[in-house]
Amino acid sequence: MTPTPGLLEVDVLVIGAGMAGAMAALAARDAGATVAVASRAPGATALSSGAVGVAPDPTASPDEPLAWLRAPVEAARRLAARRPDHPYAAVGVAGLWRLGEALRFAARQLEPLLAPPLERPRLLATPAGNAVRAALCQRSMDAGDLLAVRGPLLVCGFAGHLAFDAALVAAGLARYTPRGGPEVGDAEVALPFDDPAARPHELARALEPPGAAERLGEALRIPAGALGAGAILLPPVLGLDPAARVPERIAAAAGMPVAETLSDVPSVPGLRLHAALEARLRVAGVARVTGEAAGAPAPGRAVEIGGTVVRAETWILASGRFVGGGIARRGALVEPALGLPVQAAEGREAGVHLARRPAASLTVRDRRAPQPLLSAGLRVDAALRPVDDRGRPVHPRLLAAGAVIGGHEQATDGSGLGVAILTGFLAGRAAARRGA
Amino acid sequence: MDYDVVIVGGGVNGTGTARDCAMRGLRVLLLEKADFGVGASGNSSGMIHGGIRYMLSDRRVTALACRDSGAIQRIAPHLLFRIPFIMPFTSRRDGATLRERAAFYATEVYVGTYDRYQPLKSGKPSTRLRADELYRLEPGLRPGLHGAVTLDEWGIDPYRLCALNAVAARGYGATLRTWTEVRQVLADGGRVRGVRWRDVLTGEEGEALAPVVFNAAGAWSPALARASGVDVPMRPGKGVHLTLDRRYSSYGVILTAVDGRQMFLMPHGSESIIGTTDDDYYGDPDDLEATNDEIEYLLEGAASLVPGVRRARITRAWCGLRTTVRAWGRYEDALSREHQLLDGAPDGAAGLLSIVGGKLASYRAQAQEATDRIERLLGRPVTPCRTHEVPLPGGDAVPDPAALARELPVAPPVAAGIVHRHGSRARDVLALVRDDPRLGLVVCRDAGLLAAEVVYCCRHEEVRRLQDLRRRCRLAVGGCGGLDCARLGAQLAGRTLSWSADRIRAELADLLDAGWRERRPVLDGVQLAQEELLRAAHGLVEVA
Repeated sequence: MTPTPGLLEVDVLVIGAGMAGAMAALAARDAGATVAVASRAPGATALSSGAVGVAPDPTASPDEPLAWLRAPVEAARRLAARRPDHPYAAVGVAGLWRLGEALRFAARQLEPLLAPPLERPRLLATPAGNAVRAALCQRSMDAGDLLAVRGPLLVCGFAGHLAFDAALVAAGLARYTPRGGPEVGDAEVALPFDDPAARPHELARALEPPGAAERLGEALRIPAGALGAGAILLPPVLGLDPAARVPERIAAAAGMPVAETLSDVPSVPGLRLHAALEARLRVAGVARVTGEAAGAPAPGRAVEIGGTVVRAETWILASGRFVGGGIARRGALVEPALGLPVQAAEGREAGVHLARRPAASLTVRDRRAPQPLLSAGLRVDAALRPVDDRGRPVHPRLLAAGAVIGGHEQATDGSGLGVAILTGFLAGRAAARRGA
Repeated sequence: MDYDVVIVGGGVNGTGTARDCAMRGLRVLLLEKADFGVGASGNSSGMIHGGIRYMLSDRRVTALACRDSGAIQRIAPHLLFRIPFIMPFTSRRDGATLRERAAFYATEVYVGTYDRYQPLKSGKPSTRLRADELYRLEPGLRPGLHGAVTLDEWGIDPYRLCALNAVAARGYGATLRTWTEVRQVLADGGRVRGVRWRDVLTGEEGEALAPVVFNAAGAWSPALARASGVDVPMRPGKGVHLTLDRRYSSYGVILTAVDGRQMFLMPHGSESIIGTTDDDYYGDPDDLEATNDEIEYLLEGAASLVPGVRRARITRAWCGLRTTVRAWGRYEDALSREHQLLDGAPDGAAGLLSIVGGKLASYRAQAQEATDRIERLLGRPVTPCRTHEVPLPGGDAVPDPAALARELPVAPPVAAGIVHRHGSRARDVLALVRDDPRLGLVVCRDAGLLAAEVVYCCRHEEVRRLQDLRRRCRLAVGGCGGLDCARLGAQLAGRTLSWSADRIRAELADLLDAGWRERRPVLDGVQLAQEELLRAAHGLVEVA
């Protein structure tokens, strides 16, 4: 049979190119399948902190030494045991068992960007001066791990750059000193260029040309020497392109390890992560299609996405939650691409019928509490197949990965990209088996 | 005695009266349990309107509101902006039934009568629009309308109106204490002698002695009076408004709700507002949230003439309690908007004066009347009121934003926002940028908010909590909910007000809590995606 022009025949079609979609595609490709990834725009991964949180430890006490932090995989197990609706629980014990493998796979795939995983979580600073645990982080963040800093940590802001308040971050991190965190000091240095109103990505670009990072590094020697610092923590703007080696060049000029904090929005590390995933998909030989998969039929049938007709026996839906557009609320909660049933849970009640409840009924007044509306999504079986309201798979060769699966919320349970990596990896491997 | 009068409540009645009393030389203490305007004043429709709605039942209310609207334009021109309204005809003129013709005639007489009040508030007279003219002006209206009449009204930022009255009072020597609640009205032998207060932020307590206590606590005033054995008859009515992310019409549109009540959709600054509901409220005034029913009611009414609002992005739902004078057997809507001053003397609390009801547009006249009464209670001669002549802070010589933008390093839209909020004091705000160029950073591109304005408000406008900046300069009020500006605003305020790192974190959380309460009942479409992003960016999970 001669191939139809414009027809792309692959084993696996992945919808969504964020962390979950990319992991699914790479895991399937790695296992020998042919893969196409369709996406319409960058999603939540590009807006993420740039590091990978796996799980908070629900049993940790706020006073215990930081060194007692449990390994990411163990924390995920404890979370799964307490939250039967969480994707970590949905994949079953056997599925969750492979979390370590999935994290190592992700680190290998994103080798130039990510630091290798450790047995323990890394403890990284946010721009608000909180420490959060990360299972994986970018190399540019590694030296800021509070458990690895040797000697005092100097938090340093840039004069004229109001968005990062070094004194505030330092005061926040000093709360962890009694628990085994480093001593913390703060300072401000002048940037090697003058633009007080520059946005984060503009600062990141401005540090890339030859000489810029070096001049900043030299300027850092003075406050770092005064504190006797063992490492320097900077705002998360250390270059957009990792190939420019901005953190390494600053560190060389400063004569000590240099790291950046995690980011809030807009996120330079998130953009780096997005770019690294795209680059890796290209290198791995994954076909890329740009466009919307709205109103798609079902796996095995041809679907037109942005002018290309794609046919694949297995589909993986990795379209994200609300930011990604995988789940939307238009008066009621819907899954726009395939019209799959969306479930919400409120207290002990869960199901498709809750997706029609008013927003006020699916939220609670305490902002910091888990919000049923924000954790709505697809429900899946242990094989990651979306299920209908009676718990039966919608289609035998339709899988889901990442935030489109409900039952968790990144903001309140800290398991965001960890879920994407685990479910993406498992779905990709499973899809490749079916395709073979 | 420490003061001549203690004023309880920082709404428009409390701050307006504080200004008038202080201008007449009285020693004033103003106590507000939260921040200026947090109750009915700030959560009003934000209009200095003449109240055409009350013309049939309460012509005096309309006349007073129109006259005072003119006065407010003189003393705070920068705060006001014109909102022309249209009132569409839903049925045909030619071949109309007798009943329809009677309705036309009545509308024209109605608006025509209102025209007689317009000169009082510099409003333009009404115009009749044919159908083709109507659709040219407002293409988003549903098809099948047969023309309209126009009427002219004025919009205002009600929070700033309260804050500026308070700041003006301070300029005349008044003492202001926000985030300070009154625990008890002190009395001796049938006469009040002051109040016992508690600072809710620091826990500090104290007594302030004064022969007159003016109870302007709005929905909270009956409880305060009751503790002194005084009955303040009030029928609180809950009013809900929706804010849409952009202007969905060029003109205000007067609508009919599903139950026949009059409501509106109007452009307000860069947003649109749909309002309002009016229902009896029997709950705790501190526990007020918009319900799904109220939101649907408003959308249903607005969509009947402007169908596009069904696809609009609703950024928040907000509500307040009207403090109408109690009347039995009337619908909420038909309750008089007239105000009353109630003397506590017959109930054995001489010197306790309470105000119930009234309108934002007439606040100045209400304050004048209250101040006259306070002077009488003090046994002094009533002195002349000058609140209609002397500008509010920034209300003198309002600069041209375009000229200001040429003179100082700010973009014209940013300058316009600052001039709108600060009038002539925009120069003082922008002078901060000249001294420290870092303060030229645009904190919010939507609201045109500069770092300098955050610093200025913290220094000069009685900011004690980060959430006060929602009301002073619209920090984290827009569609993004503070994604860009909340942390930066917290850092700036923290530096200016010497907050500890822990305090900054707590204030930031409090600011985000306030926004969440207004957004959660309307989360839908892109606004829900925005909320997901906001929650993730302000990581709720810490290490332990």
